[in-house]
Amino acid sequence: MASIRIRNLVKRFGNVTVIPDLSLDIPDHEFVVLVGPSGCGKSTLLRILAGLESVNEGDVYIGEERVNTVPAAKRDIAMVFQDYALYPHMTVRQNMAFALEMRGMSKAEIEERVQKAAKLLHIDGLLDRRPKALSGGQRQRVAMGRAIVRDPKVFLFDEPLSNLDAKLRAQVRAEIKALSQQLRTTMVFVTHDQIEAMTMADRIVVMQSGVIQQVGSPEEVYEKPANMFVAGFIGSPSMNFIPARMTDGEICLEDGVSFPAERLFPVRSQAIEAGQPLTLGVRPEHFLFAPDDPAAFKAQVSLVEPLGSDTLVHFTAGGIDAVARVSPDLRPKPGDVLPLIPAPNKVHLFMPETGEAIC
Amino acid sequence: MTSTPSADRWIGYLNTVLLMVAGIIVVAPTLWMVLSSFKFSHEVTAYPPTLFFTPTLTNYVSLWERTPFIQYGINSAVVTSASTALGILLGTPAAFVVSWTRITWPAIVTLLARMAPGTLFLLPWYLMFRQIDMIGSYWALILTHAVITMPIVIWVLLPFFDNIPRSIFEAAQVDGCSPIRVFYRIALPLVSAGLSVSSILAFVFSWNYFLFALVLSNSDTKTLIAASFNFIGEGSTNWGALMAAATLIALPPLVLAIIVQRWLVSGLTLGAVKG
Repeated sequence: MASIRIRNLVKRFGNVTVIPDLSLDIPDHEFVVLVGPSGCGKSTLLRILAGLESVNEGDVYIGEERVNTVPAAKRDIAMVFQDYALYPHMTVRQNMAFALEMRGMSKAEIEERVQKAAKLLHIDGLLDRRPKALSGGQRQRVAMGRAIVRDPKVFLFDEPLSNLDAKLRAQVRAEIKALSQQLRTTMVFVTHDQIEAMTMADRIVVMQSGVIQQVGSPEEVYEKPANMFVAGFIGSPSMNFIPARMTDGEICLEDGVSFPAERLFPVRSQAIEAGQPLTLGVRPEHFLFAPDDPAAFKAQVSLVEPLGSDTLVHFTAGGIDAVARVSPDLRPKPGDVLPLIPAPNKVHLFMPETGEAIC
Repeated sequence: MTSTPSADRWIGYLNTVLLMVAGIIVVAPTLWMVLSSFKFSHEVTAYPPTLFFTPTLTNYVSLWERTPFIQYGINSAVVTSASTALGILLGTPAAFVVSWTRITWPAIVTLLARMAPGTLFLLPWYLMFRQIDMIGSYWALILTHAVITMPIVIWVLLPFFDNIPRSIFEAAQVDGCSPIRVFYRIALPLVSAGLSVSSILAFVFSWNYFLFALVLSNSDTKTLIAASFNFIGEGSTNWGALMAAATLIALPPLVLAIIVQRWLVSGLTLGAVKG
């Protein structure tokens, strides 16, 4: 078990700078999820932690040791790969025992650890099978078992759920979360799936183009996104962004629709100058159905996506296209007009030029 | 686009005919060689060739009586086995390193060496081995034949190594393996089919290689293929004995290929197709 410190990390591939300057602290025992779109540098960062990629500039510490030049084999980390990377010529037992053999551990201790990890992951009946005789979910468990049997300083996960079907993914996600609470080992998990990030992480690191956009708990990055990128990336469906302007205590949209600013964000409205251009951010779940509210705007429904528990409504209002999540009891149909209003204190404000959140 | 059943049937017939023609082209010389080895010399060159004849073992008997055929066979076995082993020993790690580092120029250099005519090396090697008094030794032949076997091993094994997902090697590194351990604990067992294919091909090419053995061997180390040249004279050629020798020389690679036929075919295709 160990903390991780990254200081001013720079990573280049030839002339391409993938990570320009990154610093991050991950305390001991924490489950951190690196999340971001493809090509944001999250997997590269994980591979640097693993020792599978070199560092051009900066320092990486695992515990108190600077590991920039320490080979992967000597870092005492365990990694679960996206394709599981099980050794096809070895049985499950041999796969799990391999790293322990490399350490010169006694056979009795290896067997004890393998049995313990196998029981924990419910794969004790599969120990004599080869990987090709396992299902995707079983392989994933073996890959996990191969990692936890080592009791390493740090666990690294490189999108390990992406090859599983949706149902299995949800199940394994919960299992990994439970495992992390049980093992209390530092874990770094890479994913592009914000649901995985939200459900598993103690802290989320949102990345774009090799730059950390925000670090925070799942609640923080959801409720207080640092900028429009984070706001748009976290949450499904994405946050709606609406160009607006502040005039005389009212938030005016481009097409004349307006709301009293005091009502939407009573505290923050004081900080906004009159005439200032803004981008409003409203999550689909923060539109309220308000038939009796005179401030509600009329949303022209263009598309309806019933999800069972709730319904996504694509609508047009005030010259903008947006999505709202409403109760399935409303049973909206394309062409209907719904009176909607953003929920008080749930509206986010961003600077249109920089994308940074206001207050 | 779909074809009609009758068109499919005709394509099937055409395939059969083409395969038969190809089969005849491949098998006919071998058949002619084997049949000729049971004919008297004058019958071998008779025109038109005689299809029905009284078989004789004279050629095989004379082969045994007039030449130390067993000794030549042992020489061939020693040179071929050792050069194949040397080729595997050097070529397998070389192929792994080329695949691992993705630096391909060493593999291309070995391929160029393989493709260059043997005569290019012959004189320098002859002079070099004479200088160190190794002409006529097994080692001279084994080392020179490694120039044939090593590129084969490298180029047959490269796609096998390339087809192993890189993450498996990386997992082994994370599990505590040094690159050398990654090679022999992980990579090597995963290319066993490729090893058998490359061993057989290297064995066959070395077994059949004529030029180096002709120049660099002596009467004690002469290989079968070089010894068979003795039957070709300036004035006359003992075709019957030559055919008998050729038949016996062809036997070991043929038997080897038949024994591992299934493995050979699957190995050759597995190397190229991602599993």
